[in-house]
Amino acid sequence: MSVIIAKGISKTYDPDGMPVLALQRIDLEIREGEFTAIVGPSGSGKSTLLNIIGGLDKPSEGMVEVGGHMITELSDNELIDFRKEHIGFVFQAYNLIPVLTARENVEFVMLLQQRPKAEREARTKELLHAVGLDDKMDKRPGELSGGQQQRVAVARALAPKPAFILADEPTANLDTKSTENLLDIMAELNREEKITFIFSTHDQRVINRARRVITLVDGAVASDEKRD
Amino acid sequence: MIPLIAWRNIWRSRTRSLVVIGAIAIGVWAALFMTGFATGMARGYVRSAVDNIVSHLQMHHPQFKEDYDARFMVDTPGAVADRLREMPSIKAVSARAVVNGMASTPKGARGVQIKGINPDEEAGVTTLREKIVEGSYFLPDRRNEVLISVAMADKLHIKMRSKLVLTFQETSGELTTGAFRVAGIFDSGNKPFDETHIFVDHSDMAALLAPGSPTEDVIQEIAIMLHAPKTAATVSDTLQSLFPGLLSETYHQISPDLEMYESQINTVSYIYLGIIMLALVFGIVNTMLMAVLERYREIGMLMAIGMNKIKVFSMIVFEALMLGLIAAPLGMGLGWVSMLYLGRKGINLSAYSESLRLYGLEQIIYFELPPETYWQAGIFVMFTALLASLYPAWKAISLRPVEAIRKI
Ligand SMILES: Nc1ncnc2c1ncn2[C@@H]1O[C@H](COP(=O)(O)OP(=O)(O)OP(=O)(O)O)[C@@H](O)[C@H]1O
Ligand SMILES: [Mg+2]
Repeated sequence: MSVIIAKGISKTYDPDGMPVLALQRIDLEIREGEFTAIVGPSGSGKSTLLNIIGGLDKPSEGMVEVGGHMITELSDNELIDFRKEHIGFVFQAYNLIPVLTARENVEFVMLLQQRPKAEREARTKELLHAVGLDDKMDKRPGELSGGQQQRVAVARALAPKPAFILADEPTANLDTKSTENLLDIMAELNREEKITFIFSTHDQRVINRARRVITLVDGAVASDEKRD
Repeated sequence: MIPLIAWRNIWRSRTRSLVVIGAIAIGVWAALFMTGFATGMARGYVRSAVDNIVSHLQMHHPQFKEDYDARFMVDTPGAVADRLREMPSIKAVSARAVVNGMASTPKGARGVQIKGINPDEEAGVTTLREKIVEGSYFLPDRRNEVLISVAMADKLHIKMRSKLVLTFQETSGELTTGAFRVAGIFDSGNKPFDETHIFVDHSDMAALLAPGSPTEDVIQEIAIMLHAPKTAATVSDTLQSLFPGLLSETYHQISPDLEMYESQINTVSYIYLGIIMLALVFGIVNTMLMAVLERYREIGMLMAIGMNKIKVFSMIVFEALMLGLIAAPLGMGLGWVSMLYLGRKGINLSAYSESLRLYGLEQIIYFELPPETYWQAGIFVMFTALLASLYPAWKAISLRPVEAIRKI
C-alpha cells in the first residue's frame, strides 16, 4: 500500500526576483514499510522534497497524497493537525523541547493528541526502551549526547503512530558510532514494527543501509534504486 | 503541559526573567506607595478637617446657613444636646453661638466668623485646645477673651493681650460691638480656616448677640463627634427624623470638598497604576519578544510536530502571565511592608509646611492604603502582562515552520 503519492511536484523559490527551481516535476511513490534514502549533492532539493511530502511546505505545482489525504489542499492550520496525527519528524538538530525531559518530550506529542494518560505513559516507556534509553528518561536534552538526543527524537516521532517518519539528515551532527547506533535502531524498527522511514543524507555509510535510494540532481530524480 | 513548559521556559533566561520580575514588582510597589501616600494625605486632610473644624455632624436651624443669620437659632438647644448625649453612637456634643461679623484693631479690620463656645464642650469635639501655640485656652472666670489664629494675628497686626473689637448684628438686627482681649493664639494647620475664624466664650457672646434672652438658648450650631465616622450618614438620618425642626448634615454635606478629595484618591491611584503599567508593558513586550526570537527554531519545530497556533500562542501568553504572577505578590508584599512602616511612622513633610498649611494639609503624612488597592494592583499587573504578551505571541504564531527549521 502506498503511504505517499506525489505527482508532478515542482517548487520554485523566488526570494528576490531570481527564481530558483528547487524541484522539477517529481513523481514519487513511497510504500508502507520502506526504508528509503533521498540522496544528492547539496542544493539538489532533498530538504525541499521532504518538507513538501511532510506537509511543512507547499509545492508550486503538483499534488501530494498522504494516506489517502490530499495534503496539498489543506490550509496551514489543517496541516498542523495533519502532521500531528500522521507524520513523524526527525530533524538534524533542535528536535526536542529543551525544558522537558526525554520522557516528557515523547509524551508531549501524545498530549497534543489528547491520548489518555495511561496510554501515554506506557507508550513513552516502550518507545524509550526501544531506542535504548531506559536509563535516560528523566534527563533533559542538554544532559544527553547528540546521538541520545536523536534517539529521543526518533521515539518522539514514533509516539503518535505516524504513517511514516521523515528524517532530514538525522545523522549529520553525529559521530560514526552514534550514527551506526541510530541506524541500527531505525532499521530494527523498520524490520520489526514495519515503520516506514524516509531520510535524506550525504553520508555513504547511511546510504549503504537504505533499501531504496532515490538520487536527486538539480531538483529532478536522477535515479531510483531498490535493493531488496 | 503547556503551563509547565511556560514555567520552565521562564527560568531558561533566569537573569532576564528576574530583571522583569523585579521591574514589575517595583512598579507594583511604586503604585501602592504613591496610592498609600495620596490616600494618607487625603485621609489626613479629611481627618484634620473633621477634628479641627467640621466635626462629623452639625445641626442648625434649616435656614441658618442660607445667610448665617444669627436669628435662626436652634430651638430648645439644651434639650436637644441632652438627648444627643444619650445616644450611644455619639461621642461628644458642642453647642455654639455663631455669627458673622467684623474684627477690628487700630491697625485693620477683617470679616470673620465668630464662634461662641463652651470651652469644656468644645474640647470634646474639636482639637482647638491642643492647637493653642501661645497663651492659653479659655480660663474660667475671665470675661471677654478671644482666641485668634496665628494667621489672624498676622493680618490684624496684633499679639497676645491685644485688644480686639468685634462688631456684628444682634438677633434683633441692631449692630453691637464688644471689646475682647486676645487670650490665646491657635494654629489649626488650615490657613483658610484660620484666617476667617475666631473663638469667644459662649456666655460673653450670647449676652451681646441676644441681650435679654436666656444665655443657654442662644445657640446656632450643634457640632457632634461620633465614635465611628462611618456611621455619620445613618446617625444623621436618625437625627433628622428625631429633630424634624433642625437640619442635620454630615461632614460630607457640610464640606463637599472633603468628599471630592476622598473620591479623587481612587482615580489618582488608577492613574498611578496606569502610568506604571504602561511603562512595564514595554519591558514585558521586550522580554517576551526576545524569548520568542531566540526560540525561533524551537517554536518552528513545535509547530512542525503538530503544536497548533492556539497552543503556541497560549504558551507565550502563559509565560508573561507567570512573570506577572510571580512579580505581583512580591510587589504587594513590598507595598504591604512599606505601608506597615509608613502607616505608623509617616513621612515628615515639615520642610514644606508653609504650602501644606495653605491647603490645610498635615505635615506628617501617615500612609494609608484601602485594602482593595492590593488586588486592584494585582489585576492591573495580570492585565498588563496579558496585553504585553499579545504581540510577541502573535509573532510566534506567524513564523513559518519551514523557514524556522531551514535555519537549523
Ligand atoms: N527558502 C528558500 N528560499 C530560496 N531558496 C531556497 C529556499 N529553500 C531552498 N532554496 C534553494 O532550493 C534549492 C534546494 O534546496 P534544499 O535545501 O532543498 O537542498 P538540499 O538538497 O537539502 O541541500 P543540503 O544538502 O545542503 O541540505 C537550493 O538551491 C536552495 O538554495
Ligand atoms: Mg537539506
